[in-house]
Amino acid sequence: MTYPRLVLANLGRNKLRTALTGGAIMLAVMLVCLLLTMPNGLDAIMNRVSSNTRISVHNKAGIVYPIPYSFARKVRQVDGVEAAVATMWFGGAFEEEGKVTFPNFTVEPEHIGAVYPDYNVPAAQLADFQRYRDGAIVGRQTMKRYGWKIGDRITLRSTVFPLSLDLRIVGEMPNEGSPLLWLSREYLDQALKARGFRGLGVVTSIWVKVRDPNRVNQVMRAIDDLSRNSSAETGSETERSFFASFFGSLQGFVKIILIVTGLVTLCIIFIAANTASMAVRERATEIAVLRSMGFSRHAIFTTLFAEALVLSTLAGVLGVALAWALTGALRAFSGWSAALGPLGSFMVTTPVVIQGVSLSLLIGLLAGSVPAYGAARRPVVEVLHEVF
Amino acid sequence: MQPVIAVENVSRLYRRGVEEIHALVDVSLAIPAGLFVAFMGPSGSGKSTLLNLVSGIDRPNTGSVMVAGQRLNDLSEDELAQWRARHVGLIFQFFNLIPVLSARDNVALPLLLTPLDKRERLRRAETALRVVGLEQRAEHSPRTLSGGEQQRVAIARAIVTDPDIIVADEPTGDLDARNAEAVLALLRQLRTDFGKTVVMVTHDPRALRFVDEAYHLDKGVLLEGEAAGRAAEAIRLAAGHSSAGAPGTAP
Repeated sequence: MTYPRLVLANLGRNKLRTALTGGAIMLAVMLVCLLLTMPNGLDAIMNRVSSNTRISVHNKAGIVYPIPYSFARKVRQVDGVEAAVATMWFGGAFEEEGKVTFPNFTVEPEHIGAVYPDYNVPAAQLADFQRYRDGAIVGRQTMKRYGWKIGDRITLRSTVFPLSLDLRIVGEMPNEGSPLLWLSREYLDQALKARGFRGLGVVTSIWVKVRDPNRVNQVMRAIDDLSRNSSAETGSETERSFFASFFGSLQGFVKIILIVTGLVTLCIIFIAANTASMAVRERATEIAVLRSMGFSRHAIFTTLFAEALVLSTLAGVLGVALAWALTGALRAFSGWSAALGPLGSFMVTTPVVIQGVSLSLLIGLLAGSVPAYGAARRPVVEVLHEVF
Repeated sequence: MQPVIAVENVSRLYRRGVEEIHALVDVSLAIPAGLFVAFMGPSGSGKSTLLNLVSGIDRPNTGSVMVAGQRLNDLSEDELAQWRARHVGLIFQFFNLIPVLSARDNVALPLLLTPLDKRERLRRAETALRVVGLEQRAEHSPRTLSGGEQQRVAIARAIVTDPDIIVADEPTGDLDARNAEAVLALLRQLRTDFGKTVVMVTHDPRALRFVDEAYHLDKGVLLEGEAAGRAAEAIRLAAGHSSAGAPGTAP
């Protein structure tokens, strides 16, 4: 007979109740761990898709407002600019699905490779993109999703312009998580004119590659100065800042979820404390007997407290393990399924493990200490009078 | 003979709301070591209160309780707990074994309060079970034992620490006649074979045949002289045991 054995035997007294309480703690800890992976996950996504030496130049009023296409030429003249490419949201829906399921933009094939060298599109494919007017370069995630390969022909129906375009896939962005599609701006311009519309005189963004990372702010100021007091003043920001503001609203949402999770955890603490109190009440006779045998208040408190702590810690460790397994599975499957792509960035790191286990300890600490203290502090004769 | 239990002018008052209950009034007694004694009396007579005082579970309002050379009045709650662990073995009416532990683990439970190692604790628990004749049932959980067997396990738990006194509160109250006799005989055996002082609270008139001495209480007062004799006779008559012999005549 040992104290650990006594604690474990008491935990096995009502197996269903122990399992349900442990399950509630496990799920709460798992949920918290998953949420704790979000800020780092979003950072990882941002770091993966963004660069500090790439600038987004767009209308100061917002990215949905256009700027003149001619502005791209002026930007290229700015000192410190290595390359610039004008992009426009095409909003193309793949004909077989009828809705926009991946981001697609018109770009300038002759400039895109210089602005996005980190996308690692092979030079030969970039050359084909310039050679074929109807050429398109597609991210690997979208290629896999639809089973496309280089040389395939597809049709995208624009949800912005009143036309559909037949495209020839000439290249692939070799990033597993990339859903993008680039098509030629000139091809769209000519198609619009052929249908009797005006040409494509505007763009939504100009992406600029800056030569020297230390001169980014200076270059941004110089670009914005070009449009000062015009009808389409520009606002420039680094790609990282652009995505950070995009993710900003998402992080606000994450904060709300974290607050709700905190409240859920508080509920779990109350539930666990109530369960521990019930267990102590049911065992009032036994506790009285132990006290009368000579078990000190400290020994009674420690035994009851250890029960709550062992249960919550075991459940918490399982919850952390479950979160780890879940994010691991998401990472493994993110290469297989386009829908899971960004979720592959969420990882249960060592700090998350520490926070998860600490949370489970806190639950055990708070849920176990109050009933254990209550049971231990009562005079033994008072308890005996009540139960005998 | 030097008394192992000396109670002098002890009174115990409980307050229940505005009501005052005089559970014991100026009680004095001395019990020599190695005797088997019973506290008897009707409900509310104060016998359980007296048992709680001599076992260090409760403390008197006035008077002195000296057990095994220790004045219990002077000890704090935690010191009393330590003292009980060393000097007292407790037996309850409803056995009060821990249902999730085996008979052996129940017996070994008080040994957690000693510095003995695990192997020695196990050895002593098995020895105690052998004394009560249940060594074959060591692995059984209390649920699978009869009432009599459970009370024998409780007795093994009470003696496993080799205490100075064994205190039993209505140990036959929840047993049939045959098991009650067996438990009383076992308590008697602890006194005769191991020299233990056994103090028991009981309503059971059969106990008179096993104990060395019976103390009768009524309304918190210890009866003495003729009053005690009348109380003992009334118990004998009520149980139809008038020819069973005087108190202290063991079978």
